[in-house]
Amino acid sequence: MDTEAFLARVGEYQKDGWRLAIINTTSILPAEGMEEGAFDVSWSFAKDDRFEHLRHRILPGEEVPSISPSFGAAFLYENEMRELFGVNVTGIALDLKGQLYKTATIVPFAPSAIRARLEAVGKKA
Amino acid sequence: MKRTVVPMGPQHPVLPEPIVLDLVLEDEKVVDAIPTIGYIHRGLEMLVERVEFTEFGYVVERICGICSFMHGMGYAVAMEKIMAVEVPERASWLRLIWAEMSRIHSHLLWLGLGADAFGFENLFMHCWRTREEVLDIFEKTTGGRIIFSVNRIGGVRRDISDSELVAIVEKLEQLGAGFAETARIFETDPSIRHRLGGVGILTREDAHAVDAVGPMARASGIALDTRLTGTHFYDRLDFEPVLETAGDCLARVVVRVREITQSIDLIRQAVERMPKGEGAPIETKVRGNPTGETFERLEQPRGEVIYYIKANGTKYLERFRARTPTFANIPAMIKLVKGCDLADVPNIIMTIDPCISCTER
Amino acid sequence: MTNPFNLPMVGRSLRNLVSRPATRRYPSEVRPHFPGTRGTIEFDLDTCVFCGLCARRCPTVALTVSREDRSFAIEQLRCIACGVCIDVCNKDSLHMSVEAPRVHLRTGAAPGDPRPGHEEWHQVQPAAGSPPGQGDSAGGTAAAAV
Repeated sequence: MDTEAFLARVGEYQKDGWRLAIINTTSILPAEGMEEGAFDVSWSFAKDDRFEHLRHRILPGEEVPSISPSFGAAFLYENEMRELFGVNVTGIALDLKGQLYKTATIVPFAPSAIRARLEAVGKKA
Repeated sequence: MKRTVVPMGPQHPVLPEPIVLDLVLEDEKVVDAIPTIGYIHRGLEMLVERVEFTEFGYVVERICGICSFMHGMGYAVAMEKIMAVEVPERASWLRLIWAEMSRIHSHLLWLGLGADAFGFENLFMHCWRTREEVLDIFEKTTGGRIIFSVNRIGGVRRDISDSELVAIVEKLEQLGAGFAETARIFETDPSIRHRLGGVGILTREDAHAVDAVGPMARASGIALDTRLTGTHFYDRLDFEPVLETAGDCLARVVVRVREITQSIDLIRQAVERMPKGEGAPIETKVRGNPTGETFERLEQPRGEVIYYIKANGTKYLERFRARTPTFANIPAMIKLVKGCDLADVPNIIMTIDPCISCTER
Repeated sequence: MTNPFNLPMVGRSLRNLVSRPATRRYPSEVRPHFPGTRGTIEFDLDTCVFCGLCARRCPTVALTVSREDRSFAIEQLRCIACGVCIDVCNKDSLHMSVEAPRVHLRTGAAPGDPRPGHEEWHQVQPAAGSPPGQGDSAGGTAAAAV
């Protein structure tokens, strides 16, 4: 993922008065070429009737810059991303260090964890 | 100056749901607030792996008791978009009517809790007594007071007859007239004005910077209302978003009081404009498994809610996400709490209309 | 000096003395439920054919239906009263009532029992000469071991 271009685009959205709506993460299960799976992360911005997304596929361990310098409210989404999915987000403004939800399973939505759970109940992953 | 740390929560008489704010105080002024949430995290999003998509609507409804109907509606609408199902017109209108009644009941609930937070228990009782009549309407039309289980992918499960709809409109207008006195107290009473006026001011620029949604933003003058996008037949109704410019706690109370009146008017318009005839179909049968993904936005009583669903062709969804309005308003709350007096902290927390169970799912 | 006879609360107190209370005097006055109110699932053994559709569609897996044993069990504390079972039943064996659920604690449940308690259980009584079944027929009294 091209972090500079991404941050530049986010900066443009902020300058034009867009609002951060949601940062959503989906786990992609491990497959050929992606032994540890991946994440599809979508940064969504809204202004009036328009609703636009910046979407990137992130590999586990890849560093993702925080957008909290431009959009301060992003810290909650990014803490959640790190805690539930294991996406390596760096530079979050208010870093809760894994204490946001305090789940019993560490990183419950990591691709390998999801695959393990599905296989345990015999479902096709 | 010496600093004291006062932990507020997770159990506190004022909070409807558990949240912890560690308040760092200098004398009576709050200089910093460190939030901790996670007391109601139930991992509902993980249930997509175990509950089939036809029954997942029942899980989604139970994310929260106050916003229950709009969660169920959002799930059904998003799935209908993915599966390209055409919903009968009457079903969409019924959903709109239930959604607006949901807004009325939620605002009445919040007004009562807000009044209780600053000590006006009598007002709390009046608001909740009015709310009981709305809950009776829900019980009569859907069978349940809080959890309705009336949404299904493809439509709704129960119909409301035309005469019943007219009776509901009359009942709500009586309720609105009866509530006018309580509304007047909220807007003009000197003790409320003293307690809430000028407290927790969120300017228009700040509201934009923290991405506030719902009445938080509308009380600071930003005309942000997802119903204005015109989906779900809202484009056939005439309304303007309720705006206030002061941006303090009193302005947010006034916005919610006025939205109750606005919702009663919207229901009256909907009943007049919807197609008559209760024999009309209210559900389209749905076959097969969903494939695809979508975002869906609705206006819940607390603000804009965004649903994301991803389906991969099996009976089980791959991902379900509900970004509820309180999730978006928590940064605003943290910003407002810094710099206020200790006695104002409960009012400020209540003023974002916190629904922590929605936030944490 | 304020008028000593201007006592607004006196009028209010006298009115409260003679008027009806603002609240409902429960339990002597009970608010009636509406016809469509959801509550408990009631089962009619005579019409059931044990097809198992209701058990397959139950969102909380509260129903267990066995065609071989000709039995029907509902775990009332798992039931969320959504009414899907009533909608799918072709024989109208299930109804919604507003009574409180009859919950029977299953005694003598062995450890490792898959459904260890709180069940309401119905089974067709065997005809003469067939292998004996367990439990009672329609009426749903305390469940026996499965």
